[in-house]
Amino acid sequence: MGAYLTRRVLLMALTLFGMSVLIFVMLRLVPGNIADILVDSAGIADPKEKAKIARELGLDRPIFDQYLQWIGGLVRGDLGFAYVSERPALEEIAPRIPISAKLAGLALFFSVILGVPLGVISAVRQNSVVDYLLRIISLSGLSLPSFWLGLLILMASVQWFGMIPIYTNEPRSFIDEMLLLSIPAAAVGFRSSALIMRLTRSSMLEVLRQDYIRTARSKGASQTTVNYVHALRNALLPVVTIIGIEAAFLVGGLIVTETVFNIPGVARFLVEAILWRDYPIVQNLVMLIAFCVVVVNFLVDMAYMALDPRIKYAD
Amino acid sequence: MRKRLATIAGGLVAAVALSAPAFAQKQGGTLRVSHRDNPPSASIHEEATISVNMPFMGVFNNLVFFDPKEKINSPDKIVPELAESWSWNDDKTKLTFKLREGVKWHDGKPFTSKDVKCTWDALRGDEKQEIIRKNPRKVWYKNVKEITTNGDNEVTFTLERQQPSFMSMLAAGYSPVYPCHVEARVMRSKPIGTGPFKVADFKRNEAIKLVRNPDYWRKGRPYLDAIEFKIVPNRSTRVLGFVAGEFDLTFDSDITFPLLKDVKDQKKDAICEARPTNVHSNLLVNRDAPPFDNPRLREALVYSLDRSPFSDILAQGNDLRGATMLPPPAGVWGMTQDELQKLPGFGPDIEKNREVARGIMKELGYGPDKPLKIKVATRNIAIYRDPAVILIDQLKQIYIDGELEPIDTTIWYNKIQQKNYQVGMNLTGAGLDDPDGVFYENFYSTSDRNYTAYKNPEIDKMIDEQSAETDVAKRKVLVSKIEQALLKDAARPPITHGVANTCWAPAVKNLVLQHNSIYNGWRLEDVWLDK
Amino acid sequence: MAVIDHDAALAKAGANVSGFWSQAGFLARRYPLGAVGALLVLLFVLTALFANFIAPHDPLSTNSRASLALPGGTYWLGADFMGRDMFSRIVFGARISLAVAVGATLLGGILGVAIGLMSGFLGGWFDLATQRLMDIMQSLPLLVMALVMAASLGPSLQNTIIAIAIPLVPSVARVVRSSTLSLREQPFVEAARAIGMGEMRIAVRHVLPNTLAPLIVLGTAQLGSAILTEASLSFLGLGIPEPYPSWGRMLSESAAEYVRTAPWLVIFPGVAISLTVFGTNLLGDALRDILDPRQRT
Repeated sequence: MGAYLTRRVLLMALTLFGMSVLIFVMLRLVPGNIADILVDSAGIADPKEKAKIARELGLDRPIFDQYLQWIGGLVRGDLGFAYVSERPALEEIAPRIPISAKLAGLALFFSVILGVPLGVISAVRQNSVVDYLLRIISLSGLSLPSFWLGLLILMASVQWFGMIPIYTNEPRSFIDEMLLLSIPAAAVGFRSSALIMRLTRSSMLEVLRQDYIRTARSKGASQTTVNYVHALRNALLPVVTIIGIEAAFLVGGLIVTETVFNIPGVARFLVEAILWRDYPIVQNLVMLIAFCVVVVNFLVDMAYMALDPRIKYAD
Repeated sequence: MRKRLATIAGGLVAAVALSAPAFAQKQGGTLRVSHRDNPPSASIHEEATISVNMPFMGVFNNLVFFDPKEKINSPDKIVPELAESWSWNDDKTKLTFKLREGVKWHDGKPFTSKDVKCTWDALRGDEKQEIIRKNPRKVWYKNVKEITTNGDNEVTFTLERQQPSFMSMLAAGYSPVYPCHVEARVMRSKPIGTGPFKVADFKRNEAIKLVRNPDYWRKGRPYLDAIEFKIVPNRSTRVLGFVAGEFDLTFDSDITFPLLKDVKDQKKDAICEARPTNVHSNLLVNRDAPPFDNPRLREALVYSLDRSPFSDILAQGNDLRGATMLPPPAGVWGMTQDELQKLPGFGPDIEKNREVARGIMKELGYGPDKPLKIKVATRNIAIYRDPAVILIDQLKQIYIDGELEPIDTTIWYNKIQQKNYQVGMNLTGAGLDDPDGVFYENFYSTSDRNYTAYKNPEIDKMIDEQSAETDVAKRKVLVSKIEQALLKDAARPPITHGVANTCWAPAVKNLVLQHNSIYNGWRLEDVWLDK
Repeated sequence: MAVIDHDAALAKAGANVSGFWSQAGFLARRYPLGAVGALLVLLFVLTALFANFIAPHDPLSTNSRASLALPGGTYWLGADFMGRDMFSRIVFGARISLAVAVGATLLGGILGVAIGLMSGFLGGWFDLATQRLMDIMQSLPLLVMALVMAASLGPSLQNTIIAIAIPLVPSVARVVRSSTLSLREQPFVEAARAIGMGEMRIAVRHVLPNTLAPLIVLGTAQLGSAILTEASLSFLGLGIPEPYPSWGRMLSESAAEYVRTAPWLVIFPGVAISLTVFGTNLLGDALRDILDPRQRT
């Protein structure tokens, strides 16, 4: 067990190190850098000005030096300076994280309270009209682009309510903020709820076929008790897994939704930073996302090990 | 004595007239404005976009500026700001400003003549000055020989030769006075000025917040307590926000004509004013590489354009036809529609023009079965791509088969400068409606913003010549000549001058939009809210 | 691993397996949702292939008089701001979506199969190295990875396909690798080895065909996700550039600007994306049930 843990942690570190190299190199393959953009935004064509800015930002130094400087700083907790705002990258990133985290949390909440019960119903009433209907709805959830859903919601709310649920002013209270975020969260959460529902359904079906369920039934437990107490508890393990993974992968959905609803979160900031070639921001954000994904995967594995005694990690 | 009395009486009348509406003016309130994108920085001198000017002009003052009550910026409507008065020497090469006393920067330091010298030394390219990093309008001040101070409150600009436009350039929104003691990095993020508003906060993707400067030198100004520019990159979201009452004022020229009706329908009391955007679309033609190194082929391009569809599609027919200078009535220097008709490719009979173009094409061996295949490069953003798509459609008429090549916006000027294109669709903005501003910036061989690297000694000479001409009528003739020469040379043949609307809620009072430059007139110290 | 034998499965289910049509008919009755999906996908593919014949207008040609024309009449689904026919653009957009979906899935699939087979068969340091590389690539959400790739490569159809294909590689490689690992110890592989067949040849001739079932299931799922990723990339301005009628691009910028005056600009391309992805998802579900009986629900 101890050896396994050590190995896992080392692998995680290796993955993150690999990611740092990959993102660092990939960013530098992007045509144009911040010096090009700054000069271009002023419509200047003088290469001297560009060289001056590149020198100021250390972009003219060997790429290996640049990498060492970044990674060295990162290890010490120094994320460097954002190119565009010229403020410490940490100050730019940190205040945006809670906004995205709240949005993601809310989306996850929606997707679980929708996905799990509907999945159970669908499984219990397999092949009924309700099952078909729910399966179609969940598949459509996986098929609608979330930005389109967002646009439709915006259109509808202006049409019918004459208001627009976008983030224009800092919400006054926590409740206000949650209300404001709930609409975009629903747009993102719809997709994950579909995923969770499908998984719950198939995992429930598998469990319902197991022997011990038959045993429970034969012992005279009521149908409802069997379905919701015995089966659901056992079906939940893979569901917990997918919820964990979804949490990290929600970032993808957040990118477009934050753009549509004008939410100043970290996901939209990433797109913005990519377009501006703001290396310090992109690099650090990507590392943050990768870190979250890797840690969540690890936690999910650990949870599995703790919850399911059949799984043993020998090597 | 009688004369003096009359003057006093006149002064009184004027004073009463001016102060009369002041009774109704209200102090306080926050003006909420939508903003279309993240400004590249807050430093006006380093940038060339309305995204910077509109929110940050209120932070600064100029030496002199175009009368903010006038809709048209013209050289005879320049009023004092940080300079109390000015005088020229006899041969009009020395301009001396008397500076306002007791003015303080937002950080409490006194404003002096050294700040003026510092700012314009930096703009002339003095690398020792650390108040700016980039300098897009260096060419505006190429005629300045030296700047001298005389005590804290007097500064003199010495010019190489006389230049009637010099005052206009000092009066533009692009010419604020910067403090000597603040470094460029701060000016880009939280600038210090002497203006009516202080920068409270500049958060990317969120907002720019300005607050009233309580120590502003002009007593009783500004009226507003604060101005908040909300950054909303999606235009429909911005429009929805305005319609829903989240904003009092739209971003400058944000309401295009196709959107205007919608805004008017949804918000009946909205006040919308249409005015030229000071941006005109034009063609870039690479004269140094085949096929357009052939002047005949360039000529065919000039004759191929039908300007109406551009205007019809992009602005429901409201865009203006003009050459490089903004046409009248808003433009002070542009050619009249009658004069324009005589320019190549501007004639009313499009079919006849295109016949000329097709003739040239056939002569060069192209035809309906053997079209010339080219790539039309443009910046990969909608306002550039839309006219490019129309252009490609039109080029089919003269046997040119164009394919759109969208260039990442970060490497656009780079690519143009390296001559790595055949034909490009471009937009050119004019910071100032003035031939010196426009011609020097875009066509003079040594200009930093002449990104097409257009070099024509003939044109350089003509630009210098008009620049020194003091007689306005004579100068206009010289300007027209330059326009013709440029067009003949297919140097950025102009397509249309954009026109768009800026809208505000009726509670916003005293807002005067300047019609020949969107980049001027955003001091906002006289604006008040009737709420 | 699932060795495909659906003829037997069908025979067991009492189906007449003599002709293609009757077989299809049987499957359609057995999997009605799958049949709907197959129809939608077929419609999509046919639209893409015959776009030239279906579209009444040139999708690129502009017309100032038709700017924001209402749906109906000459322009069935209305016209956009530039006066381009929306129906024709959506029809030609199918071609782009198909190219991206098939291109990215195939490219990602081929790379994934090659990497998976090699790491399963060669093992050792190669396996270790590729596994770690896959770990790295999977530590970023698909869209984030595609976003960075698309920005690095620049906007074009080809680059968009590559940007979407690369993030798809790890999941394919993982599936193939695990199949390979379990198959290489199977008796028929041992036999092939015994008669002196080369390792690579065994991999391609014997192992690969047996991993096809999970691959097809995975591939169908990836078709839909490729279409959605392309739409998102183009919506963010990083995918297929104008003037090409990509569905995602149609939803961004100018369409979103006229969302109130001309809602059809937003509704129709979104419906096209959703229906197509919905179709591939329905089909994918049915295929999984047919080809991968272990996961049958």
